[in-house]
Amino acid sequence: MRHRLKRNSMSTKERLIHYLKPMRKSLIFAFIFALLFVTSQLAQPFLLGKSLDASKENAENIFNIYLIIALVLAVLGTVFDYLFEVIVMNVSQRVIKNVRDDIYSKINSICISDFDKKAHGDMVQLEIRDMENFASGLFAVFKTLIQGIFTITITIVMMLMVNWILALGVIILTPLSILMSRFVSKFSHKHFKKQSELQANISSISLETLNNIDVIQSLNHEDKSIDLFKVKNNELHKEGIVSQFSASWVNPSTRLVNNTIYVIIGIAGIIMIPYSVELALVLAVMSVGKLSSFLSYTTQYSKPFNEVSGVANEYENAKASFKRVNDFMNLDFDINEGKEEIENINKIEFSHTYFSYSENQKLIEDFNLVINKGEKVAIVGPTGAGKTTMINLLMRFYDPKDGDIKINNISYRDISKESLRKNIGMVLQDTWIFSGTIFDNVRYLKQDASLEGVKEACRKAHADIFIETLPNSYNTYINAKNGLSEGQKQMIAIARVMLLNPNMVILDEATSNIDTRSEKLITDAFDNMMKEKTSIVIAHRLSTIEQADTIIVMKDGGIVETGNHKDLMKKQGFYYTLYSSQYK
Amino acid sequence: MIRKVSDSIKHNILSIALGPLLKIIEAIFDLLIPLIMKAVLDLSQFNTPNNIPNVVSKNIATFIRAFNFGDSFLADALTGGGIILVMGVVGYAITMVAQYLAARSSVNVGTEIRNSLYTKMLTLSKKERNSIGNSKILTLINSDTYQVQQGLLLFVRLIVRAPFILTGSLIISFILDWRIGFAFLAIVPLIILVNVLALRKSSKGYIEIQKDLDSLSNSASETIEGARVIRASNNQEFENNKFSSKTTDYQDKSIAVNKINALINPLTFAITSIVLIVIVFLLKESLFNSGDNLLMASTIIAEMSYLAQIFFVTIQITQAVIDIVKGTVSAKRINEVLMITPQITNSDSPKTGETNIGEELIKFDHVSFSFDEKKMFLNDLNFQIRKGETFGIIGGTGSGKSTIINLIERFYDVSDGAIFYKGIPLKEYDLKSLRNDIGLVNQKSSLFKGTIKSNYLMAKPDASDEEIIKSLKEAEAYEFVNKYEDKINHEVNEGGTNFSGGQKQRLCIGRALLKHPEILILDDSTSALDLLTDKKIRETVKGFKDMTKVIVSQRVATIQNADYILVLEGGQVVGQGKHKDLMKDCPIYRETYETQIKKK
Repeated sequence: MRHRLKRNSMSTKERLIHYLKPMRKSLIFAFIFALLFVTSQLAQPFLLGKSLDASKENAENIFNIYLIIALVLAVLGTVFDYLFEVIVMNVSQRVIKNVRDDIYSKINSICISDFDKKAHGDMVQLEIRDMENFASGLFAVFKTLIQGIFTITITIVMMLMVNWILALGVIILTPLSILMSRFVSKFSHKHFKKQSELQANISSISLETLNNIDVIQSLNHEDKSIDLFKVKNNELHKEGIVSQFSASWVNPSTRLVNNTIYVIIGIAGIIMIPYSVELALVLAVMSVGKLSSFLSYTTQYSKPFNEVSGVANEYENAKASFKRVNDFMNLDFDINEGKEEIENINKIEFSHTYFSYSENQKLIEDFNLVINKGEKVAIVGPTGAGKTTMINLLMRFYDPKDGDIKINNISYRDISKESLRKNIGMVLQDTWIFSGTIFDNVRYLKQDASLEGVKEACRKAHADIFIETLPNSYNTYINAKNGLSEGQKQMIAIARVMLLNPNMVILDEATSNIDTRSEKLITDAFDNMMKEKTSIVIAHRLSTIEQADTIIVMKDGGIVETGNHKDLMKKQGFYYTLYSSQYK
Repeated sequence: MIRKVSDSIKHNILSIALGPLLKIIEAIFDLLIPLIMKAVLDLSQFNTPNNIPNVVSKNIATFIRAFNFGDSFLADALTGGGIILVMGVVGYAITMVAQYLAARSSVNVGTEIRNSLYTKMLTLSKKERNSIGNSKILTLINSDTYQVQQGLLLFVRLIVRAPFILTGSLIISFILDWRIGFAFLAIVPLIILVNVLALRKSSKGYIEIQKDLDSLSNSASETIEGARVIRASNNQEFENNKFSSKTTDYQDKSIAVNKINALINPLTFAITSIVLIVIVFLLKESLFNSGDNLLMASTIIAEMSYLAQIFFVTIQITQAVIDIVKGTVSAKRINEVLMITPQITNSDSPKTGETNIGEELIKFDHVSFSFDEKKMFLNDLNFQIRKGETFGIIGGTGSGKSTIINLIERFYDVSDGAIFYKGIPLKEYDLKSLRNDIGLVNQKSSLFKGTIKSNYLMAKPDASDEEIIKSLKEAEAYEFVNKYEDKINHEVNEGGTNFSGGQKQRLCIGRALLKHPEILILDDSTSALDLLTDKKIRETVKGFKDMTKVIVSQRVATIQNADYILVLEGGQVVGQGKHKDLMKDCPIYRETYETQIKKK
């Protein structure tokens, strides 16, 4: 297992290569098309310059040939450029899809303790914003880098061919333009970052206000809230001006520097023309045609540099995003070392079980409990007593720190998680509804169930009444956020388990939002279904668990009392206090 | 507060108007550079200005000579270059001023809009807010405002400069050679066409892609929420495949949309290259005429610069138009909200009153309420709450309990009938002092980012630490607050996520108790507390004889000892009175009691 975990961990570079490797064929084509496109693009000024010079020497044939070649290359270049862009985009989209899928399946397979530590929003961000950042970064970097490198090299070659003295001038002067735009964009980038932080701040203040507006109004706090908002908004205002202003330097500044270079090279070129004969000695002949090609190259040459610094931002974002993705992908997989398959759950035994979520906070201490098949066990106790933690251990979302949990006398480590979980139907307090029809939601635990089966289960869960009043009854499309009340959602979650009809059920506050009359009917239906089978029930409302065979009273991670309702009431202990507080 | 986006623009009109004017100066310089270069080149070929056949070039060459410190060709070239460089620097300085004006005015407008939207949001009633939708309000503050700001920014920067450069370049091209002028004129629509086509076709696609992305985000967050259920049901593979088919969809759509976008660059390249080739070909005759050759070549070089300018600004204009249109659309959306007149406001001549213990404090007189003017949600409610008593309201979900509270707080106004507070119609009562009288603890346990203390100071800005501790104790919250090293200065995360549900409820109850309100309303706000703590708090509160306690709950245990109980079902009062009487006369109450407590 350790071995597998090690292989799962990769550096960002390794992981990037891992995703790019299958795309190498496309990437090679991208390179070839880029080379072809750049060559035909950069041949244009050269050919036009040549044709101008040919016209001066009255060589009509040569003039025509140059123009025709230029035309053919222009058409070919267009096609090559398009192919190049499409390929690069396909590659980045395919990579993104693969990474996205992998993150998703990782979400479904990291160990729950890592999972619980992560903020849910962060994981969604990985899938969405980080992947979008990565996608645009990947695309932009590929495109500008490949194209840029070719453009720079070929332009240098062309310029040297036309006139090496001027070429040296361009090569020496161009870094000025790059330095300028780098300087400006670095400066503005800093402020933009600050600006977007402040913007996020504003947005979270607005969200907080919006979510709690009743309280703000009832506290007569409106004016103060507005003042606080204005303070933050003023900070954004200051930063906004600086960042917008500094961002607007980029165009004029590079324009200034580029114009300067253009003029220097142009004037130098013009000066060189009359001295052409003398210059011929150093192989730097100048003509009007050459000047025209040269001026074109001067503008072409600085472009890729600016583009590269333009994508620097996207590159940084993509890098940061991919690093976050990689960190997430490097998390451990859920361990599932058990091989034993179990067919049924006959006996559950906690023996000297210890567990805590963090090192310095004790939770479950020396926990001992035996549950036999057919028993209805209830767990009660105040919040924080460790009730839900016990379920976490039993379902093997978490493993005990010490001691054992045996199912059918087999240690938990030796049982495969699938086979354990197959036997258990679980309804939690926070019900999970996914976007889909009611039909699909109810049959989630049993994907091949028929409509009849689903209807029957909903009848038992008392959900049929409200479902049938919905416009499309069982085909009504639902999601977690709208349409259903908490109670109705719980009914659907219960119907799922009713449909599954498992060997054992766990109900963790499963009916807390259902009105008391329906709750009673649902409890009866459960009792009926679970005859001869095992059930574990956690409930705040003690009336629902009075019938349990065994009531386990928990407090501060341990069991304080065990017995049935009658015995516990007689004892006048903690259970008695809890129970009687209902009437006072 | 502004009522329209245009109001804010008016406040900044000077910068908004001055910016574009300054830009014109720079634009003129930009247009002159290629002409000066051409003049220098012509001078080098024809030696004296008078020999240059082109009028424009001749005049500029004369001008250069006028500055000249020598007749040599080298001096011509250097003077020309020098003039261009000086113009560049002056132009740059002017542009910077314009850019600053653009940044300042647009950010000013953005800030003012944001402040106004926030203020508006706090003055709208619940009904009005619900009809707009919370997410829309947030989008308005976050993205629409920014959109307006950016639209305005581009407007100031480009609206005059870009068209000026475009027309200027075209006119000069015509002057230099009419054939080239026509060729350039012909390609402007082509460039626009390429841009618009690509952007329009793909914008539809982008909406689709955005939808797909939302659905991906939805799937991811659903899976995260359901992690335990998915694992418990061994459905990981099933989920992975479902997601994978969605990412494939997304990938295919993105590729399809981008196929159109990918046309922009190649077509741009095709247009520029082919136009240049065609121009050279058109000028073939003049080029081969030895008299014209020299002039034509320099013209072509200058024209190449203008072509680049035309290209650049045409693309700029197309994109700016899109941003400006987006900005106008956003401005419209913002105006819709800013122009709403809030329905619930303080009356023009607000009244206040006094009530003694035991007298009627609140009276519902035939009150009905509906959310949508169609179906009544609350129907003909009649009851009264006396000062100092504990008033219980019980009912299932959707029975209208919380709506009653919302009506008392005037988050909503009644649709029919009237509410009286201290004998005065609620609509005439001073809104501030009404809300000041009430300490509300709602179901949601709202806490704000900050510290425990800062949350408490919201209720009573001048409260001392001792007062805060006292109310924490009353709410049974001091026990856990005291365990923090920083006590009442302990941090509160956004939404109070660093506290458990029960802790949050206790903190909120304490906050409401801090100002010792005349009316304490606990709206289902002890649901996460165990019954023991719940009871303790109720007993403490009972000791405040001058405080009217309104307790809303689904649990009989929480309200059965109230002085007076209101039983609600489906928006109607189905029983009111003391526990004993209700057990006798109200079957619904009795049934609820029996199922919840089962003590026969």
